[in-house]
Amino acid sequence: MVQRRIRTAALFAGAAALGMLLAGCSAPGANKGANATDSSGPIKIAIVDAQSGQLSSLGDWEAKGAKMAFDEQNAAGGIDGRKIVYTVYDDQGDPTTSTNLANKLASDGNIAMIGTAESADSLAMAPIMAQNKIPMITSGQSPKLGELHNSFVFLNSPSSTAYDETLAKYLVNDKGYTSIAMISNNGAYGAGERDAFKASLKDLSVSPAADQVVTPDQKDFSSALTQIRGKNPKVLFIGAEEVETGLIVKQARQLGIDAVIAGGAPAGTPVYVKTAGIDNAEGTIVSTPYLGNDTNDQTKKFAADYKAKYNETGELHGAKAYDGAKILIQALQNSKVATGQALSDAIRAVKYDGLVGHFDFDENGIGVHETQIGEIDQDGNLVAANG
Amino acid sequence: MQFVLQTLVGGIGLGAIYVLVALGFSLVYRTMGLVNFAHGDILMVGAYLAATFFISAKMPFWVAMIIAIVATAVIGLVIERILRPLENKDFDLMLIGTIGFGIMLEGIAILIWGTTGEAVPTPIGGAPFELFGIFIKRYELVVVVVAALASLVLWLFLDRTKQGIAMQAVAINHEEATALGINVGRSNAIAFAIGSGLAALAGGLAGPILYVSPTFGSSLGIMGFSAAILGGFGNIKGAIVGGLLFGILYAFASGLSQGYADLVAFVVFALIVIVRPTGIFGESTVNRA
Repeated sequence: MVQRRIRTAALFAGAAALGMLLAGCSAPGANKGANATDSSGPIKIAIVDAQSGQLSSLGDWEAKGAKMAFDEQNAAGGIDGRKIVYTVYDDQGDPTTSTNLANKLASDGNIAMIGTAESADSLAMAPIMAQNKIPMITSGQSPKLGELHNSFVFLNSPSSTAYDETLAKYLVNDKGYTSIAMISNNGAYGAGERDAFKASLKDLSVSPAADQVVTPDQKDFSSALTQIRGKNPKVLFIGAEEVETGLIVKQARQLGIDAVIAGGAPAGTPVYVKTAGIDNAEGTIVSTPYLGNDTNDQTKKFAADYKAKYNETGELHGAKAYDGAKILIQALQNSKVATGQALSDAIRAVKYDGLVGHFDFDENGIGVHETQIGEIDQDGNLVAANG
Repeated sequence: MQFVLQTLVGGIGLGAIYVLVALGFSLVYRTMGLVNFAHGDILMVGAYLAATFFISAKMPFWVAMIIAIVATAVIGLVIERILRPLENKDFDLMLIGTIGFGIMLEGIAILIWGTTGEAVPTPIGGAPFELFGIFIKRYELVVVVVAALASLVLWLFLDRTKQGIAMQAVAINHEEATALGINVGRSNAIAFAIGSGLAALAGGLAGPILYVSPTFGSSLGIMGFSAAILGGFGNIKGAIVGGLLFGILYAFASGLSQGYADLVAFVVFALIVIVRPTGIFGESTVNRA
């Protein structure tokens, strides 16, 4: 009886999934919008980010940054008198949903895409976007995105390689730490971080004291952390997203691990600090291309505009997406609203001084190659590290 | 040895939460014969309510928990009342009804609390207890004690009180129970309310260990559901053993297999269920179409 009910439930769940899949796919011949050379009317752009699920804080920031750039451009008269019409698609941080959306946004007539915030989703979407000849400017930073050699994929921030090289050099050369343990997840982002940080350590002739791998959905890290505690490391490097990084740090402290925490962009976010607790997060060393809103006039203006528009504090992810959207706008202006390969070439040609650094795209679509070192202070804010 | 014991402690901590989730599933199944697929989402709403009253309204954690439990019990009553006309008519439709309510609750949670989720501070801080080099987190100790108490109370209620025995009689034979003068509707309503309250208890307690978000219920729900099946669905002892076993299984899987915890835990789960399809305490108390 139990089995029968469960089977029925599974059947319905399967049917529902199939329905969603079909809804996401375009009908044959419906894919007309992507390469349309319609030179009047609105310019359709897709913003793809998680608006629900555990990664939705990321998606929310990214979408807000991109929307702000497009709204500003529309307020200034659009591009050649044409308005930008953007649609936000919710990928739920799920690669399967993302691939369905890749087809859907093409059939909806979008000529370019900003997003996603997730490496795994971006990797899943990349081949479909190339097939549809729609350039995507992603916030994912897995080195695998560059290794695709896909001429339609661009990164609006440095890749993990840049983040982790800077971080490893700071920890080993500047601070003199050699006892460094690693914990990372086996998702696209975490795996990229693990490879990049390990390679950077190797270049510095340091081998990690521990190298634990967890899953992106894992909640209890007792066993991995127990093994790390046994090595008594001076530094604990974490390669995971915001919430998971926070949970790992919270549990590490509860288990008596007092190592300095180090990580990439997720460890510099308010979500991480809140999840870990300020006391636990204080002193975390962060490799980031965006050290805060007070760095220069450009970031100050971005932060002020962001605050005025959303009544929230601007941060790295919004800034990344804002940069990506600004680059897209410039490429559209330079190319008189080209589509397909011509638009992709126009994006590659853009040189841009953005919030997260100077953009000069290489053949792999990576624009920025440097990050800076920051630190979480006693109030939970990200500030420049003091040497 | 230290690694084994530390992993065991971690597994029991999270296993206690799975026990509570499994208990809720099993209770509704044992008394109504219905798998409540909204259980995970009720749990999520309970977790959000507890977190909101604890963080925003700055109430003591236990007060926030009680409010959450009462509120979700009311949600359970509402769901049961709406599904009641289907009782004895179409059980599969009732099942789909619970799936529908789950999706609806997730939607409502997103409307109220947004999509970003909430980090809940641990209500009981301080250094962990150390026992022969094994660290025991203070809060997890509380979770284990609460789970043990809740299990005991539920077992006493079902097996030692008139109302509890009557509720089980309804599930075994609906018509005879009615003929004996048991109010079936009320009995089911009580089952649903207690089940939902248990979900809130599990969710509220899990909040400070995990991270509360609208999809919080689906992952915990799957774990609790699997734990209930592992123990023998509908069996209270089974829910307790299944929950603890699943927690420990998962902890060791994640400790030993470098990131493939889900895969290993569920493969082992599948093997156990293949060998013993009715679970460890395999008994089918409910046999109704």
